[in-house]
Amino acid sequence: MVSSAAVLSSPSFRDELLRRGGKSAGRCYQCATCSSVCELAPAEAPFPRRQMLWAQWGLTDRLVADPGVWLCHQCNDCNVRCPRDAQPGDVMQTLRALAVEHLAFPSFLGKLVGNVRFTWPLLVGVPVAFWFFLVALSKGFAIPDVDAELSFVEGRFHYDGFIPHELIYAVNLPVAAWVALAAWVSGRRFWTLLGGSGASRSGSFLAKLVPALVEVATHKRFSSCSAAGQRRWGHFGVMWGFVGAAVTSGLLVVYLYGFDMYPLPLTHWVKWLGNISAVLLVVGGGVLLANRLRGGRQAGSSTAFDSFFLGIVLAVIATGVLTEAGRFLFDPAIACVVYVMHLGVVLTLFLTFPYSKFAHLMYRTLAMVHRMMVAPNQEGRG
Amino acid sequence: MEALGGIAKEAGAVTTLTHPCLCEEAGIKAVRDAAAEHSLDGVLIAACSERSKREAFRGFEGDDKGLYRVSLREQVAWSHPAGEEDTRMLAEDLLRMGVVRLQKTTPTRPLDEEVDGTVLVVGGGRAGMEAALAAADLGHPVVLVEAQARLGGHLAMLSSLVPVRAPYATPQPNDTDELVSKVLAAPDIRVLTSSKIARITGQPGQFHIELSNSECSSTCRVGAIVQATGARSYDPKRLGHLGYGVSPDVITADELEAMLVRGAVVRPSDARTPKRIVFIQCAGSRDPEHLPYCSSECCATTLRQVSGIHSANPEIETVVVYRDMRTPGQLERFYLAVQEQAGVLLTRGETERVEANGKLRVHLKDSLLGDAAVLEADLVVLATGMVPNSADGEAIRELIDARKRAETSESKTQREESCNRSEQLAHHEGTEILNLVYRQGPDMPALRYGFPDSHFICFPYETRRTGIYAAGAVHAPMSAAEAAEDGWGAAMKAVQCIEAARRHEAVHPRAGERAVPDFFLQRCTQCKRCTEECPFGTLDEDEKGTPELQPLRCRRCGICMGACPERIINFPDYSVDMVASMIKAIHVPEEYDEKPRILALLCENDALPALDAAAAQGRHWNPWVRVIPIRCLGSINIVWIAEALGRGIDGMILIGCKYGDDYQCHYVRGSELANTRVGNVGETLQRLVLEAERLKVVQLAHDEFERIPEVLDGFAKELEDLGASPLKGF
Repeated sequence: MVSSAAVLSSPSFRDELLRRGGKSAGRCYQCATCSSVCELAPAEAPFPRRQMLWAQWGLTDRLVADPGVWLCHQCNDCNVRCPRDAQPGDVMQTLRALAVEHLAFPSFLGKLVGNVRFTWPLLVGVPVAFWFFLVALSKGFAIPDVDAELSFVEGRFHYDGFIPHELIYAVNLPVAAWVALAAWVSGRRFWTLLGGSGASRSGSFLAKLVPALVEVATHKRFSSCSAAGQRRWGHFGVMWGFVGAAVTSGLLVVYLYGFDMYPLPLTHWVKWLGNISAVLLVVGGGVLLANRLRGGRQAGSSTAFDSFFLGIVLAVIATGVLTEAGRFLFDPAIACVVYVMHLGVVLTLFLTFPYSKFAHLMYRTLAMVHRMMVAPNQEGRG
Repeated sequence: MEALGGIAKEAGAVTTLTHPCLCEEAGIKAVRDAAAEHSLDGVLIAACSERSKREAFRGFEGDDKGLYRVSLREQVAWSHPAGEEDTRMLAEDLLRMGVVRLQKTTPTRPLDEEVDGTVLVVGGGRAGMEAALAAADLGHPVVLVEAQARLGGHLAMLSSLVPVRAPYATPQPNDTDELVSKVLAAPDIRVLTSSKIARITGQPGQFHIELSNSECSSTCRVGAIVQATGARSYDPKRLGHLGYGVSPDVITADELEAMLVRGAVVRPSDARTPKRIVFIQCAGSRDPEHLPYCSSECCATTLRQVSGIHSANPEIETVVVYRDMRTPGQLERFYLAVQEQAGVLLTRGETERVEANGKLRVHLKDSLLGDAAVLEADLVVLATGMVPNSADGEAIRELIDARKRAETSESKTQREESCNRSEQLAHHEGTEILNLVYRQGPDMPALRYGFPDSHFICFPYETRRTGIYAAGAVHAPMSAAEAAEDGWGAAMKAVQCIEAARRHEAVHPRAGERAVPDFFLQRCTQCKRCTEECPFGTLDEDEKGTPELQPLRCRRCGICMGACPERIINFPDYSVDMVASMIKAIHVPEEYDEKPRILALLCENDALPALDAAAAQGRHWNPWVRVIPIRCLGSINIVWIAEALGRGIDGMILIGCKYGDDYQCHYVRGSELANTRVGNVGETLQRLVLEAERLKVVQLAHDEFERIPEVLDGFAKELEDLGASPLKGF
């Protein structure tokens, strides 16, 4: 534990918490029902009772260095059982958003995404506009013609005449490098803070990363949630859909440059992989969206930060699926517009990775590895 | 049954009858017919416990000797096997004791006392005003005496009151002024402000009051008294560790309240609006060094003040440091409503100290943060607890006695001891409120922490002075709403007491009882045990120290009867001789019969119901036990012990209520006195060549019915190990 005396923060942090949607933290009277009902909370450092108190006091230093904030999967069992309706699950979500902003590199980007309630038109608009501008600049927005000789399964036209693959890689590879750098710096900050929070680690990072990734892959922790169990499968679908889509994109590069195969026929196994991923994304995204729309205590309340990420993910899924479907069904002009928008929202998703809710992929994994290194024998619960 | 009838006749009954259902109309009629036919002056019912079917047998009390009931159902049929010799012997003994008891009952002489129906209310705060209105509503004239120049008490000085109506979210306007107007307008309430009580003499129904104020003095007669003298805040000067007196910016809740009434809350040091106000709960409360108890109202007051500050100026940040937020009942909603406001933080922790050089810093330990914590503050408010405005009558009396002894005592050490004692008690001087002219001191005895209560749970409003009832914050720390309710309750008790006095009946717990103790004063040795040990201050003394009974103060416990070494204090229906004769009526078999006998004297309020409950549960106990229910363990006269053990009864067990700080005795200290007295009979036992183990005192609560058979069986086992009484057959 931190040895120095806790000092009640100035009201600013607490104001920020209120503004961001953590208003209900004020209702908490520390009965610890939340920590007792939480299936994920580790016995030696249970959450979210303690985090609720830190939030009330505005103890930012403790909150950003705390693994518990990230080990929470927002099952919302606590929300359902809280006798005072203090919505600990929602408060934890807000705390994660504040932690992301606090750890962000560079910090102004963190603030930009943190204030997504106001900045979202900029965050979506600029990348989309950028792509429209780039396409117009490179090929003058040349809509490809429909090739009547192609069979239905081959598609009515190809996008490479509209936007060359090189252009996409020329943009996305440097962006990916930049995002990796920013995420690396933020992740390192977090890892250092975690290490300084008192508990000593043992074992190697990589040795513990493997079981952590297995947990991520299987969504085992999610299965402990009782209040919002169906979210497990939504999240599972979206995550594996993204993984599948990423692998598909990688394989396409391999086939394009390694075997000079383009376009791949719809029956090719790589295409199958991509389409199965798309189905996972659509179903998973739909489950998550339905969960949000249904509302109630188990769903938690949606903040702008949260909705932005979900919105971008859904936009990427929708534009991606429509882009593919456009080759077979739509007028090329419409399909091309959707395609450019897809590239735009994908760019937004990439660029905001270290600053949006997307960053939970990194922070939660780090928190899980940290916990396994701190308490190697207690992997069963939590 | 026929055999038992024979036993009763043998013991002296004129006639006997058996009936399958005595408590039904036909049974009652049969009893009445038999009584008329034989001109009976007393009836013994051998059926269920005296605690059952009381209504059915009502009416026999008016007869000369009345009714006595032997508990054949609980003490024999339910608790012992049928058809056994031991069971039969038990029933026979019970019947013999019952007959003797009736034989030894003498008629009750009616009192002849004039009773006044006026209620005196001392203190014009919320509880006092509500008590006055309630008594007036019930048709009793009221005299309301207030020491201050105006009515309203502490509450009149508040900016608002804690909410008492849904949704309990915001403070409600202070309505004390309306209540004052209502009291002043009530035709039956005579309000005397700036007045004090100079003297009270007399007894319930006949109190004589002398009042004084700066201009004149007056007298009045009243039937009962409600003391509603309220409470004051704990002296903050003793809270230097919390910064009071060190920094002008550490203030009490009262001082903050004065600011809220005036309007703006400012720092006393620079008259500027504070940015952050820290409230420290339990300031000097729940602390053995200060007030050991919780005043129960400070948490709600703080919430009310926080709410007031926040609604006037939301820019001011308020932090409340509590040990436990205590918001009983619907105040939980108020707690939530205040807590969820922005800029308000309620947090748990123990305030260690307030650092007051330069900026105020509140140091917390044992906070939920798991370590020390610090709060910077511009203004610190101490939520201090309530101290009752009571006087400890017994302590004042002791002070007077000690001073007298210090002057008159012949031995030097005694003079020195008395001097020391009077110094210890000197702070009680001049604290008198009621100025009772009672043998046991001028005010009610203060119980724990100075509250003149009796037993908070079992007997609310009762005090240890009959006809005087405590209400409001002097009774226990409480809120405005509770004080109002307490005022009504005390007024009800006062009226009840007046009505009982009119019928010359006892009040709680032997309500309805008419017989009063008779003092055969020719043989009194002026030992003063009775006047000192009466828990209710019933007995005054003349100059020589002879007891003077004030019958309407008497609660009929018989503690004086147990105290008297001359055995000259007896009730017509409960006497030293009566119980001694009942003991004599127990048939004690010879030693070779191997049938020991155990006498159990059971308190009728707690131990007897516990025994009845055990029987109702089908529990059995040792058949050698003979039970005599008694009014209070304190009424046990030592001669009974000598009588019983001297007759060869093998052991004697006295089962009474719990005593000590959390006593459950209906007569406050009867069981404790019995324990002391029994401790002193060692010598008597020695003279009889008896083991001390043959006499046992047990404390047993009303609900411990599971335990009582074990207690009786255990004692029987101990006696068996000890062997038969050596006095058998003498």
